[in-house]
Amino acid sequence: MPDFSLSPEQQSLRDLARRFARSEMAPHAAECDRTGRFPEEIYRKAYELGLMNLNVPTEYGGSGLGAVDQCLIVEELAHACGGMTTSVIANCLALEPILLGGTPEQKDRILKPFCAEYHLASFCLTEPSGGSDAGGLKTRARRDGDGYVLDGEKCFITNAPHASLYTVFATVDPNLRHKGITAFAIPRSAEGVTPGKDEEKMGHRASSTSTVRFDGVRVPAADRLGEEGEGFSLAMRTLDQTRTPIGALATGIAQAALDHAAAYALKRQTFGKPIAEHQAIQIKLANMAQAVHAARLLTWHAAWTIERGAKGTLESSIAKCFASDAALHVADEAIQTFGGYGYMKEYPVEKLLRDAKLTQIYEGANEIQRTVIARELLLEYA
Amino acid sequence: MEIVVCVKPVPDAETRLRASPDGRTLDPEAVKFVLAGYDESAVEQALLLKEAVPGTKVHAVAYGPAPRTEEVLRSAVALGCDQATWVDSGPDATGDPIVAARALAGAIAGLAHDLVLCGKQAGDDESGLVASALGALLSVPDFSCVVDLRWDAATSRFRFQRPVEAGLESWTSPTPFVVGLQQAWNDPRTAKLPAILKSRKATIGRATAAAGTGGESRPEKFELPPPRTGAKMIEYRTPQEAAEKLVRILREEAKVFP
Repeated sequence: MPDFSLSPEQQSLRDLARRFARSEMAPHAAECDRTGRFPEEIYRKAYELGLMNLNVPTEYGGSGLGAVDQCLIVEELAHACGGMTTSVIANCLALEPILLGGTPEQKDRILKPFCAEYHLASFCLTEPSGGSDAGGLKTRARRDGDGYVLDGEKCFITNAPHASLYTVFATVDPNLRHKGITAFAIPRSAEGVTPGKDEEKMGHRASSTSTVRFDGVRVPAADRLGEEGEGFSLAMRTLDQTRTPIGALATGIAQAALDHAAAYALKRQTFGKPIAEHQAIQIKLANMAQAVHAARLLTWHAAWTIERGAKGTLESSIAKCFASDAALHVADEAIQTFGGYGYMKEYPVEKLLRDAKLTQIYEGANEIQRTVIARELLLEYA
Repeated sequence: MEIVVCVKPVPDAETRLRASPDGRTLDPEAVKFVLAGYDESAVEQALLLKEAVPGTKVHAVAYGPAPRTEEVLRSAVALGCDQATWVDSGPDATGDPIVAARALAGAIAGLAHDLVLCGKQAGDDESGLVASALGALLSVPDFSCVVDLRWDAATSRFRFQRPVEAGLESWTSPTPFVVGLQQAWNDPRTAKLPAILKSRKATIGRATAAAGTGGESRPEKFELPPPRTGAKMIEYRTPQEAAEKLVRILREEAKVFP
């Protein structure tokens, strides 16, 4: 039988994340949601505690955690605020291409100074004309002397206005489709890099999202990650690693929704008794609890699969897709449990619905996840 | 300077408590234990002194059963204590504060100690006796309810304050002495993730509890407070509506005034 108990070390990591989430993040979640403020002081504290560059090995200044430990932390953070969590873990996504595709020299040169101080990085794959069709991206990388010149625009880029480093996917030849895509690490300070203005979003409002323009940006060949044409595979392998924590993030939102709904149901009286004593609400809570529990176990299983060295594409797609659908459903049911109060911004549950929605869209829309799941599944039957 | 800081695992305030099957104590199986709040302030005080006085070493000492006592010592190491010693009480410890103080004093007597820091009491039994008993057992002065302990190198004495009923007392004392610290006068730091991982590999020293007489008290019965009843939530949109509803309930239902 697999062992689902957490080691004392994992319990202390989870306690750290829970404490940070409750004492530092939760008190500001509603305010940042209302105003769209990017609470950089909270992200700085997360960095100082070691909660930011979770996947970067300690030799480069990160926390060096495995997939399961990352999920434990991300779920706790997301319980307090999904948007802040997105910004806290964006470095993991942005730095993963360097971890997977960078040479030891690049890791030393780029990651060490980056991780030695508070810095944000952004993963730049999606473009205005498409996100899921990553093979068709339009940002061009033209060879020029001993380097490249990049031109193009990326959009929906997390933390972009505040980032000092971008991992950028561009094509050396659009006719080559997937085989032309190449990855680069580009500092914000490079001439021609321009992040756009913060987007107004439905949820995850404590996180910052913008376009990034690259106008004639010169990139030395030394900052290319992997070979020319390896970018698409690098992006997909990156997402294989970072999809599972999105499942954990969605699980955290779902758990928060369940916690709010159950506490409210015990307190709120109708027909002379708490609504928790009405079977209609009990069934609701029971279904919510099943969804949360299944989301967590699928996430843990995907993380465990990846930690054992497998690619985990099927498992992580199932976890991300199921957990994000569960988060939306559980948040919806939490609002229903609250009734009219749940629809009011004064209560915490409508935010959860708005935050949950994004988890179905980013890091691979759930339609793409289902395509991937079906493809991996059918391979086993072919 | 050598500082000893005594720490104790207590139930997390957010834990849902229940009585043990024999009905004498809190059921430890159902409880998550954490470093006591007063002791967090004591550890923070020790670490502030360590940062202020070069060459200072901080040694955390705890008395209690496995596994929680060893865990709370690892928390202290993760926060920045240099060493840790666990005095194993065995699983059937009664929790008598004199027994605890004797066990701690036995371990501390074998360690260099210019200063012994404790939380002034623990959040679970609230007995507040261990610091004073340590003073007596180690034959050194002890002070309780202390805040803002600072080393004065010019006079080689500690300066500190005690918020008392009538005002604020200021004291100085030569070393060694025992201090019971007030809770929450400082802002205890949070252990960082790398330090937590490192603390898992730290060696926790072991000491056996000193034998002695006195401290024969045993817990007889543990009861949770009866569930609260009669609470009523008032739902409202404006403060005025809340006040109107409250007045109506006080008048018509509670009949507090006519």
